[in-house]
Amino acid sequence: MIFVGAVFISYLKGAKKMKYRGWILPPALRDFHEGRIWLKEHSPFPKDHIERVIECGYFHTIEGIQKEPHLKCNRCYNQDPREFTMFDCSKCEQSCIYCRHCLHMGRVSSCTELLIWIGPRAIRTRMHPLKWEGQFTALQKQAVNEILASIKAKRSHLIHAVCGAGKTELLFPSIHYALEQGLRVCIATPRTDVVLELFPRLQTAFPSTIIHALYGGAPKQQGYAQLVLATTHQLYRFEQAFDVMIVDEADAFPYTFDETLQRAVKKAKKKDAPIVFVTATPSQKLLHQYRNNSYSFIPKRYHNYPLPVPSFCSLWNYEKCFKRGKIPDKLKQWTEERLVQNEPFLIFFPKVELMKIAASLFQALDASITTVHADDPDRKEKVLKLRNEEVRGLLTTTILERGITIKNVQVAVIGAESAIFNSSALIQIAGRVGRHVEFANGDIVFFHHGITVEMDDARTKILAYNKEGFSQ
Amino acid sequence: MNKIDTHCLLCAKLLKDPISWTTLLTKRFQPTICEKCSARFENSQSATALYQYNNAMKEYLHQYKFLQDVALAKVFRQELYNRFKREKATIIPIPMHPLKQKERTFSHMEELLKAANIPYIQLLEKTTTETQSAKNREERMQVAPLFCLKEGAYVEHKEYLLFDDIKTTGTTLQHATEILVNAGAKSVQCFTLING
Repeated sequence: MIFVGAVFISYLKGAKKMKYRGWILPPALRDFHEGRIWLKEHSPFPKDHIERVIECGYFHTIEGIQKEPHLKCNRCYNQDPREFTMFDCSKCEQSCIYCRHCLHMGRVSSCTELLIWIGPRAIRTRMHPLKWEGQFTALQKQAVNEILASIKAKRSHLIHAVCGAGKTELLFPSIHYALEQGLRVCIATPRTDVVLELFPRLQTAFPSTIIHALYGGAPKQQGYAQLVLATTHQLYRFEQAFDVMIVDEADAFPYTFDETLQRAVKKAKKKDAPIVFVTATPSQKLLHQYRNNSYSFIPKRYHNYPLPVPSFCSLWNYEKCFKRGKIPDKLKQWTEERLVQNEPFLIFFPKVELMKIAASLFQALDASITTVHADDPDRKEKVLKLRNEEVRGLLTTTILERGITIKNVQVAVIGAESAIFNSSALIQIAGRVGRHVEFANGDIVFFHHGITVEMDDARTKILAYNKEGFSQ
Repeated sequence: MNKIDTHCLLCAKLLKDPISWTTLLTKRFQPTICEKCSARFENSQSATALYQYNNAMKEYLHQYKFLQDVALAKVFRQELYNRFKREKATIIPIPMHPLKQKERTFSHMEELLKAANIPYIQLLEKTTTETQSAKNREERMQVAPLFCLKEGAYVEHKEYLLFDDIKTTGTTLQHATEILVNAGAKSVQCFTLING
């Protein structure tokens, strides 16, 4: 007893000597900041907590705008001098420079500080049951194994699969493997719609995994997400965070055009983390880079029916015709046929202005027909209405070219010769048709004012996929 | 601040011809926003304001003041210049509270005038950090004085023109007017960018 008491007293003495701070690092703060690069003023946690954490040395702070060797935003890696603005700052009382490129995420300027977490790592579980009972086709199975092998070898990979091949499901085994290894996985996509569409599907496949969906205006989400679904824009806010990076719809606007976004993908992942590109229409550059080493190609849809091949139909001077207040005859006939046969339909327009002119003309045929475009706040609801057959058809811009699945939908493209409809956009649009097993056939018409190389290219590629998929 | 913008400051589309013969040979400012964006702003019918409050204006104010996009001070410089170039009265922009200004890092009213090359002076000082926008009409009417004279400020017996961003109930401008008139100003007029 005496001995035990002595040990206890010496323990107490030791405790007195130890610098007791009376404060424990809030796990929520660690869970939020790990992997993120965040404006100090914009942290969702109280200021005194942040200061304390900095004192503990858990945060690395860097300046917002780097001046040497050339101007660079340390959050979004923007280096374009046109996107920086200089002004007389009342806060630091000097000339300050700020980045306009990522302004909407909270302004980064010379006198703001960015926080990077270097403290203890968040706790990662290795229990991530996969609840998905689907069956892979032989082609899918082969691709699944190829992807898994690449992930295991930390090698980047390109998945090239036609629209409706079941690309998302292909990823499940690899994501499952990575999560159980205690790795952090990110699925990035250029479009918010795709994030919103993928999120519920992933949550059902991984029911006990914390998954965060990040996009502009997303709600605050709790806990440490080992699986993150984000728009490529949101990746500006991460740095060396992910062990596996998956870029879905890797060719979609604006990812292909915006170099800062491509840099953001590189920045958000750890240096040796592999990138998996998933797309139906890879660019020449991507193909060239991956075709010979880690490349999976699926030319066939999951339901084993060939892709619907677009037909070309001339619609001379359609623009004039619409402006005169008349739907061109061939198009009117096509639309009426869809209405009679009670098939939902999508009509793609090259320009919002033209679509708005045409809208009232189509509404004269059926009052429920409405329009959808990029800035439309009710976009999601309208697509849902078409799916639920409350709306007979939608007029849309290229915004709906990918990521949506509607049973038995029929598609027409107006002005397929327009520059905005390049071959990958046209392939994606054609890919909306016949995705369901029961309606594996469907009508896809390119109405045009002259046939372009891009249109031909799209058709040739679709024919080639079908040939390859059904050669045996 | 004086660089030439090749892209629209609001929608980032390429501007058609940022440098034209007109801007080169006359004293006009180069355009900073595209025609489509500028068409969204609605001119005011009132003689004491340039624009009517609408959705485009709401977005503009949000980006300029809340997201602190100082570059947007240039958007209305030509219109402001046209309005103020022959102004005889001395222009006083409505000041911000020093703490508020430090928080926002710039005074949005002064930046608007600076961008349009319009001379101004400052005689007033804001006494409260509270914002008017969070209050309802009655609360706005019954606030304690919002301004006082700046230390060492001398109000001459001449015409002054107060410049604010938006007028809703007019309380802010009324408070400022009173201070100046009581201090010996001959007359005080008001002008706002937006009519609320």
